[in-house]
Amino acid sequence: MKFNTNSNVYIIIYSVVMVVIVAVLLSLAALGLKERQNENILNEKKTQIVKALGYDAATVQYKDVVAEAALLDAEGATVNNDVAKVFEALQDVKGSREAGLFPIFKATDGSVVVPLYGAGLWGPIWGYIALASDMNTVKGIVLDHSGETPGLGAEITTAKHQAMYVGKTVFDGEDLVGITLKKGGAAEGAMHEVDAITGGTKTSDGVSAMIKDCLVSYKPYFAAVKATAEQQVSNELNTENNGK
Amino acid sequence: MASKSLKNLTAPLSGNNPVIVQILGICSALAVTVQLKPAVVMGLSVMVVTAFANLVMSMLRKGVPSRIRIIVQLVVIASLVILVDQVLKAFVYDVSKQLSVYVGLIITNCIVMGRVEAFALQNNPWDSFLDGLGNGAGYGLILVIVAFFRELLGSGSLFGYPIFEKLGLYELGYANCGLMLFPPMALIIVGCIIWAHRSFNKDLQEK
Repeated sequence: MKFNTNSNVYIIIYSVVMVVIVAVLLSLAALGLKERQNENILNEKKTQIVKALGYDAATVQYKDVVAEAALLDAEGATVNNDVAKVFEALQDVKGSREAGLFPIFKATDGSVVVPLYGAGLWGPIWGYIALASDMNTVKGIVLDHSGETPGLGAEITTAKHQAMYVGKTVFDGEDLVGITLKKGGAAEGAMHEVDAITGGTKTSDGVSAMIKDCLVSYKPYFAAVKATAEQQVSNELNTENNGK
Repeated sequence: MASKSLKNLTAPLSGNNPVIVQILGICSALAVTVQLKPAVVMGLSVMVVTAFANLVMSMLRKGVPSRIRIIVQLVVIASLVILVDQVLKAFVYDVSKQLSVYVGLIITNCIVMGRVEAFALQNNPWDSFLDGLGNGAGYGLILVIVAFFRELLGSGSLFGYPIFEKLGLYELGYANCGLMLFPPMALIIVGCIIWAHRSFNKDLQEK
C-alpha cells in the first residue's frame, strides 16, 4: 500500500500520532527520573546548609549537625517543624517569605542557618547564612547565583570571598545592619563590612541587600533567643548567688 | 564496518569538522568552555542528540511528509534534548546546573538540524547514526580543546584540579588571566585552532 505522504489527512494523522508518542515518552522519562532529581536538589540544599555552618560537607552529614528545621511566622514563633515542609518552603524562599513563612535550621550547637534570596545583576542570587548561638556573629555563609558574570559577580561563590564573612556581626546594638559589601574594601576592624568584589559592584550590592532583607524577617526570633539566653544567664547568676 | 561507513564517523573529526570547518555551533562553544567538565558533558550530550536525531530521522525519512519535515525534525530533536536534560539533572546534577540553559539550547544548535537535513534524510540509519556520532564528537573535540586552554590559563586548573597552584607557579609571580574566562577568548581560541588546522590542511585554504 502506498500513501500519498503529502495529503492533508496523512499529515494531520502523522502529526497527531507523533505528538502523542513523544508526549508519552517524555512524561514517562520525567516521572521515572523525578524522584532522583528531587533527591539531588534536596541533597544540594543540605550540603549548602552544612557548608554554611562551617563544616566540610564531604565528611559531615546534615543529620549530624542540624537538630531541627522549622518554619517561623513573622513573630518568630514556630509554625511547623516538619522537615519535609521546611525543605518544600526552601524550593521557593521568596514565595514562602511573602506567605509569612520563614524557614530556619537550628544546629546542634545552638547556631542557626537562615536561607537567603535576593537579586544580583543578571538574575537571582541565593544562599545560606549561619549565625552563632549569640544570633549575631556570622559563623559562615554560602552564596550561589544563576547567571552572574564569571570572574566578576560570580566570585561571590568562591571560598575566598565567603571566608571574609566569618566572625563579622550583623547587629549594631539593637539595630540589624547585616553585612555590607564595601566598595574599595572594608575598613580595618569594621564588624559589619566585607570587601566588595572588584567589577562586581551590582552583585555586591545585591548580596548586601539580600543579607539584610532576609535577616530582618527573623529579628523577633533572634530577640526571643537572646532573651532566653539572658534569662538563663541571670537565672544561673541567681542560683549561684543563692547558693552562697 | 565498511570503510565508507567509517568515513562518516571520522570525517567530521577533522577534515569536515562542524565547528572549525563548517563553522556551526559556535555560540554554545563560547558559553560552556570556561571549564573542562561542563565542556565534556556538553560534548557528550550533543553527541547523543546528533546521533539519535540522525538515527530516528533516517528511519522515518520515507514516511515523513516533506511539507512538515522541519517540524518533525524539531519535535524529534527537542524530545531528545529534553531527555538528555532530564538524565543530566538526575545523574550529574552539579554539571547540569553549570550547563544550565545551554543543554536546552542544544535544540537550536545548528549542527543537529544541519546534519539531519543534509545527511539523515538521504542516507540509511546506520550511516546516519555514525555521521551524527562523528559530528557530535567533532564538536565535542573542539569544545574540550578550547576548555582546556580556558580553564588552564583562566583558572589555573584542569577538571577543577588546581594544577598551577600545585606546581607553585603563583609563588613565582604568575597570575591567572581573567580575560580567558570571558566568551570573546573562546572565539579567539577557536580562531587559533582554525588557523593551525588550515595550515596543516592545505586543501581547506581558500584561494
